[in-house]
Amino acid sequence: MRHRKYPFIVGFLIVPVALYALLVIWPYLQTFGYSLTDWSGESTVMHFVGLRNYTALFSDAVFRQALLHNVLLLVFLPVITILLALFFAFMLNVGGRAGTGGVQGVRGAAVYKVVFFFPQVLSIAILAVLFEAVYRSDGGGLLNGVLLKLGLEDPQHPIEWLNDPGLVLWSILAILVWSGVGFYLVLFSAAMQSIPREIYEAALLDGAGRVQTFFRVTLPLLWDSVQTAWVYLAIAAMDAFALVSTLTPGVAYGGGPDYHGEVMATYLMRNFLYFGKSGYACAMGVVILFLTLILSAIALRVTRRERIEF
Amino acid sequence: MATVTFDKATRIYPGTDRAAVDKLDIEIADGEFLVLVGPSGCGKSTSLRMLAGLEDVDDGAIRIGDRDVTHLPPKDRDIAMVFQNYALYPHMTVADNMGFALKIAGVNKTEIRTRVEEAAKILDLTEYLGRKPKALSGGQRQRVAMGRAIVREPQVFLMDEPLSNLDAKLRVQTRTQIAGLQRRLGTTTVYVTHDQVEAMTMGDRVAVLKDGLLQQVDSPRNMYDRPANLFVAGFIGSPAMNLVEVPITDGGVKFGNSIVPVNREAIAAAAEKGDRTVTVGVRPEHFDIANGEAKALAKDEPAGVAVTVNVVEELGADGYVYGTAEIGGEQKDIVVRVGGRQVPMKGEVLHVVPRAGETHVFSTSSGERLSD
Repeated sequence: MRHRKYPFIVGFLIVPVALYALLVIWPYLQTFGYSLTDWSGESTVMHFVGLRNYTALFSDAVFRQALLHNVLLLVFLPVITILLALFFAFMLNVGGRAGTGGVQGVRGAAVYKVVFFFPQVLSIAILAVLFEAVYRSDGGGLLNGVLLKLGLEDPQHPIEWLNDPGLVLWSILAILVWSGVGFYLVLFSAAMQSIPREIYEAALLDGAGRVQTFFRVTLPLLWDSVQTAWVYLAIAAMDAFALVSTLTPGVAYGGGPDYHGEVMATYLMRNFLYFGKSGYACAMGVVILFLTLILSAIALRVTRRERIEF
Repeated sequence: MATVTFDKATRIYPGTDRAAVDKLDIEIADGEFLVLVGPSGCGKSTSLRMLAGLEDVDDGAIRIGDRDVTHLPPKDRDIAMVFQNYALYPHMTVADNMGFALKIAGVNKTEIRTRVEEAAKILDLTEYLGRKPKALSGGQRQRVAMGRAIVREPQVFLMDEPLSNLDAKLRVQTRTQIAGLQRRLGTTTVYVTHDQVEAMTMGDRVAVLKDGLLQQVDSPRNMYDRPANLFVAGFIGSPAMNLVEVPITDGGVKFGNSIVPVNREAIAAAAEKGDRTVTVGVRPEHFDIANGEAKALAKDEPAGVAVTVNVVEELGADGYVYGTAEIGGEQKDIVVRVGGRQVPMKGEVLHVVPRAGETHVFSTSSGERLSD
């Protein structure tokens, strides 16, 4: 039977595997191949240059700055998003309990759950338009308008959120957090609801307050979901292309002012399509791929714990 | 150690009109083991959760000792609870599970360890202290849940069907262990179960609830011998008491071919309310098999009720006969206990007479007990 089994399995797998190889694996390999050339993108002429593109990358100040920005996002985006989402999910599911009445969410939890999910249904294009209005550098912007009304800033020198070298990256980070919290809130809510209610009640009877319940019971039981969220958010932090390219100033694909909003993905695209340094861009792509892979592996490895069964 | 008082405690779930627990009034003495029993949906678990502070009290009050705890949060009530599914913290070891409350209370580590080890010794859990709950059997988890309650040395233990997830044999074994442990610790305990055998065997007193209303609170013996109404009579005892509706006659109640003596005033009171019948209850073991010996009402007929045997359950020591009898022109199901060595055959006819002094008479309309 053995010799018949394999043709049978291969018969089913051949089409999807071939498609995957053609559309995913081959482009990866091609990218790696192009990264060893001086391909300019438009022409079909290219010369093999060895690892010169990679050595150039390491001395490229802009790329190093973009990398630093991605690392900053990598540190702050998962931490802030997960903490906020966990906090909200906890409050919405088990946090409300003044006096007696057992374990329940705060009042109006059902409404909040829907409202918090809104950002998730907005496309990035809409997000960009929305935050262009929020971050406008005159009194018409939401933030500046409010700050002016409160008299907290000088009308002659309003804060230029997306044009200030010190603020641009954090403004982008804020959008990423704002749009991400809702999704992870729903993810953590679902995970929390799978924890038997009696466990919270037992904690309540054992005298644990909200904070103790959260850290000693809820968080350890949610660890699997937090780990998953961490990997997703780390990958998102390595990207951030769409928001930076649409919102920040710069010649092509944003990244300004003066590279202070630059991320690896935007610098890659600028090299690829604008500067005509496609081979160099491919080398960047390869570096980003490996960084992301390594990060995911580390995130999964470091946070791995014993599986919890109820 | 403390008493527990339910003072007309009422719980009405939002969106419903009927109270889940309606003016519950029970006084539980210090060190007493009280069992709340009833069919599902009778409000027994709700009552327990009201005492625990996991459920609001809409009206009335609950007191532990002299303290009014009606609106206190659970942690301030000094109680410990054992849940039906045990609710152990899956990420903590047995020792951490048992010591969690003390850790929260800020007790120092050495004392926590001493108390946990002490409780583990009582419950035979010493070798499992380092394990996680998932590596324990059902019975061991149940003991950990008990241990978590014991370690706290609370004023009151609350147990919500703690044995229903165990298999039949372990349940019987654990039943005696819990009852024994409670006697030894002398902690006031409120225990919820739907199993009347558990209720009868474990409790100092048993409280029967139905539809949120307290039916009777009494010792298991009295509950069995003098059920206060039709519901309790039918609920307590296995197999259930035979309840048969019979017409009222002069001097008592006619049951088949014999007379059941009943207090005259009670009968008069029932008749006054317009009742033409009363309900007679006889436990299966209180039927005597009469083979023409007992005094019959009509001379030409054999005494008692003729029961046609349908099914016989042989339990070894004794047997239960499930049969039908014609009483007052209607076919009634009757259960009779017979000796294990004198089991009748299917299809036979038995003449049974209720034993004098072991019959119960209830008003058919109100269900109240009429005989003393």
